[in-house]
Amino acid sequence: MSELLDFLRLLFTDPFGLFDIPMREWVSDAVGWIVSNFRDFFRSHVSPPVRGVMETFQWALSSVPPLIFLALLYIIAWRAASWRVAVFAVIAFALIGFMGVWDQMIVTLSLIATGVFFCILIGLPVGILCSRSDWFYAVVRPILDIMQTTPPFVYLIPAVMLFSIGNVPGLVATIIFAMPPMIRMTNLGIRQVDNDYIEAAIAFGSTPLQILTKVQIPLALPTIMAGINQTIMLSLSMVVIAAIIGAGGLGLEVYAGLERLNIGQAFVGGIAIVLLAMVLDRITQGLGEKGPASRAKD
Amino acid sequence: MIRAEGVTKVFGKNAGSAIPLLEQGKTKDEIQAETGHIVGVKDANFELEPGEVFCIMGLSGSGKSTLIRCVNRLIDPTAGRIFFKDRENGEREITAMNDAELRELRKHDMSMVFQHFALFPHRTVLANTIYGLEIQHRNAEESQQVGRKVLDMVGLGGWEDAYPHELSGGMQQRVGLARALATEAKVLLMDEPFSALDPLIKVNMQRELTRIQKELDRTILFITHDLDEAMRIGNHIAIMDAGEVVQIGNPEDILVNPKTEYVANFVEHADPTGVLTAGTIVLPFDDTQFERVAENGELVYYVRRSHPEGFRFGIDRKRRLQAVVRPGHHESVEIAPLVQIAEHAAEIARTGRRDDIALRCDAQTVLRTVLKGRSCSTVPTVVTDADGRLRGIIDEPELIHGILEKRGHREHAEATAADEKPSAGGAG
Repeated sequence: MSELLDFLRLLFTDPFGLFDIPMREWVSDAVGWIVSNFRDFFRSHVSPPVRGVMETFQWALSSVPPLIFLALLYIIAWRAASWRVAVFAVIAFALIGFMGVWDQMIVTLSLIATGVFFCILIGLPVGILCSRSDWFYAVVRPILDIMQTTPPFVYLIPAVMLFSIGNVPGLVATIIFAMPPMIRMTNLGIRQVDNDYIEAAIAFGSTPLQILTKVQIPLALPTIMAGINQTIMLSLSMVVIAAIIGAGGLGLEVYAGLERLNIGQAFVGGIAIVLLAMVLDRITQGLGEKGPASRAKD
Repeated sequence: MIRAEGVTKVFGKNAGSAIPLLEQGKTKDEIQAETGHIVGVKDANFELEPGEVFCIMGLSGSGKSTLIRCVNRLIDPTAGRIFFKDRENGEREITAMNDAELRELRKHDMSMVFQHFALFPHRTVLANTIYGLEIQHRNAEESQQVGRKVLDMVGLGGWEDAYPHELSGGMQQRVGLARALATEAKVLLMDEPFSALDPLIKVNMQRELTRIQKELDRTILFITHDLDEAMRIGNHIAIMDAGEVVQIGNPEDILVNPKTEYVANFVEHADPTGVLTAGTIVLPFDDTQFERVAENGELVYYVRRSHPEGFRFGIDRKRRLQAVVRPGHHESVEIAPLVQIAEHAAEIARTGRRDDIALRCDAQTVLRTVLKGRSCSTVPTVVTDADGRLRGIIDEPELIHGILEKRGHREHAEATAADEKPSAGGAG
């Protein structure tokens, strides 16, 4: 009788004390298990391609002399957006150079390029699959929510355990964090294509693949470009956080400055990141607005 | 060319369950109330002859767009069969085709024009036009040549590199038509292609479609909600009401003998001048209407019983019309083919209507042409057959009666419907 009373008392005063979900242990055990069983696999099969792409970008970007870099930047920004954006881009990059963080900027740019490269490589097909199957999207959606909302610090540690410190774990964290908008926007863009166009494509005998490549993807391109734009912005914010686990570039500049209480150094890194973000944003936005598919809105 | 047998489309999760109910004779509304299923098309039967324009006419919601989509299986019918017949492959059942066979059919045998054009906005006019060829992996250069040729035909030469949004609605639909013509499919499915266009452009497009259709010898299934449009371009018209085909016939049939009140309502507002023919409105040359008044050697003269003092019509022994004599005269006026005079109607009408020329036409001449001719001459129009024999005359009473009364009006339709009810019940 007294046992029952104890139980009822507990039920009202401390109901969650009755039962314990050992989530901490489970996660720790799971991560430990993955690390001990798959560390070699990750280091031998995931690291090299990521590092390879990153180093290729870095080699290519750093081998361009700064003046030629600025000229190319002007042309790209002018073709993609407008001459105003082009002028702004050149001024911003020149400022970065004069502040003495050009090389760090190149590293950061390579990190972003690598992150975006893998986000598109994985995100585009997954987004297309999501748009074609409600069932698949229902499975992917909560995973995207987890990827986007989990604080990045939480998965920085397992990333280090798997890949050790350096650029690669930072990149892996960046890819996880920046990929969801790519998938979401690809899915959305394809689903938004007016059924009239699909019907016309079918009526002329198109195969499903032809409908996808000749009608759906071209018409979804403005939305997909908006997804790429967001992916770039998210990569940029993540690249700074990744400096904590040894990624280089402007993020390291900020992190090192803060660590040594060198406010000036941190501030220069910060301003350079802001300028880089603005330029990349304007250029990719221009691409989305100027592309042939944006005519759909007329 | 295309034959539909008992095509039925029910929308809903368990559409098949509605079929027995339809067979029991339940109406669309009853089935919707009982099962929640919506009957789009109910037991449609029709057949297209090669080279004709077959119109399906009905109000929105009558199931006409659903029916045309059943023909190329953009929508799968719930029941019924559709056949496609051509010289190379004989008769094939569209409703039994698998995906690959359907794609071949859509690539080579049937193309489609849409109400809202459905041009791909990211492709130029030329790239839109050759879309059908592109997905067949045809040689790019040849495709472009075909595309340019077809665009010339629809009057869009020089616009190849424009984008659809730079074109007016009428021009966009010309691209839609060009895209459908480029694949050289023998059958064109046109789903209200001109409904979104301004009235003036619409009439132009109808005229051009008729021209192109004759030039290229295509068979067209044409959906419209406009009876005048159906009558202007269709060789046959099927009228749909609440998912059912209520009447099929040629335009004049439908105008003169509407089977149901629904059809009669449409007909009442239709323009009869392009549909009614001289053969329908003519006062027939027989003893009840005409009286023999004189004989002069080879010719026998008749007058209209209602106008004994009016024109005399002289025929020879083979009933061939030889003379039209004005009251108080002895000599015949000139007798000329109506079509020739009608061409110059505007000029002649300016100098005044002539009273010394009788116009001759055949039974197939449409009322509008007869009226045009009559605007030049006050003499009754004579209708003759191929051998010159007198079929009858058309004077002002016949013209007025033709315009106002010759189409089936409601009283007539109700009488017909009442007549048919017992027999329909007996058959069912």
